[in-house]
Amino acid sequence: MSAEYSCLVVEDSPMMRQLLVFALSRVKNLRVTEADDGVDGLRKLAGGRFDIILTDINMPIMDGLKLVKRVRTDPVHKDTPVIVITTEGSVEDRKRALELGANAYITKPIQAPQVIAKVKELLKIVP
Amino acid sequence: MVDKKPGKKKTASVPPDVSAGLKMQRDTFVHTFFKKGAEFTEELLRENERLRKHAIELESDNARLRAQLASDEAIRELLRTVDQLEKEKQTLLSHVHEAEANSSRYSSRHQEMEEELSNLANLYIASYQLHSTLRLGTVVKHLRELLAQLVGARSHAYYVASPERTELVPIASDGVSLSQLSRVIVGAQSDPSGRRGAARIVERVFLTGVPHITEPGAHGAVDEPVACVPMRMDDDVIGVIVVFSLLEQKQHFVQVDYEFFKMLGAHAATALMGALLFANAEGKLPSLEALHNLGT
Repeated sequence: MSAEYSCLVVEDSPMMRQLLVFALSRVKNLRVTEADDGVDGLRKLAGGRFDIILTDINMPIMDGLKLVKRVRTDPVHKDTPVIVITTEGSVEDRKRALELGANAYITKPIQAPQVIAKVKELLKIVP
Repeated sequence: MVDKKPGKKKTASVPPDVSAGLKMQRDTFVHTFFKKGAEFTEELLRENERLRKHAIELESDNARLRAQLASDEAIRELLRTVDQLEKEKQTLLSHVHEAEANSSRYSSRHQEMEEELSNLANLYIASYQLHSTLRLGTVVKHLRELLAQLVGARSHAYYVASPERTELVPIASDGVSLSQLSRVIVGAQSDPSGRRGAARIVERVFLTGVPHITEPGAHGAVDEPVACVPMRMDDDVIGVIVVFSLLEQKQHFVQVDYEFFKMLGAHAATALMGALLFANAEGKLPSLEALHNLGT
């Protein structure tokens, strides 16, 4: 039986979330949980164990940078790979996210194959 | 009288020194003879030994040559086998190359299908989002998000035609302030702001219903939009979507962008108009009587 992975998608835009969930549905044995913002993301993280986290940076209530920081201090998820989703102009955000412990970033507009490849790479799933 | 006794001869006596000389000669001869004989015998033995060795060598060479002949035959057989195996290897390699080419083709096709699927999903999500609400603000928010997230538009705006169709009014924008955009008077030579290029393109797209999409690589400006797409409702154009510039990493439009523009042209107008009508009706849903009349 193949291993099952779990992924948390933290994105405030329903459309972006839908796009990400669709992209991730193409990765075999990946279960996806959605969160509306950073706070919701932390709530979901507290309620389970995730193998990978995808988060937008610009979100209300708690942004992606704060979420990355919190994830890295969480004993359960401190080593969980985190992918941040950034816009082209936010070079500083990207840099800051990587400094805070994010493992990779994806620039908008997102392309499903790019998301799939990055997730597989970080989960070490052989194509 | 003479005494002649038969059988009795009178021998001459040999002087002793002659006898000694002869004896010495005889001894010398015998000695020399035996010495020569011994030397000859030794020579014969050596020759015999040499010949024996030579015979052994010849036998050895002979054996080796016999073995060589047998070995050559075995080698010939082996070479024949090698040739046959080489041919089989070539056949197998050819099959492997063929399989690799097929695999590469399938992989490439699979990638194409994944991209196609992703594009279709994007189009589905876009239309789903556009029609997921009747709140005008949310429809506009979705439109802005769709252009930014799916097309990669940096700055864009939406113009809606007045009821008299005499002017186009910018109702929302992203990446460019609404105050920077002015109404486009339909039929005028130029708009009041003097941005003749953009106004002319917007007006032309509105009047003809034909989209204006520039060549790849263009990043445009407010004066020179990279794309103008008519928003249609049935056969009428009720507004224009204008993309002024693209994100840095978006170097050109791709096939799905054209599909996306086509979809937006057909769906954005109905989504906007539906939301406008709903707003005009102050959010009231139609009565059941109105729905009953649909069947008659």
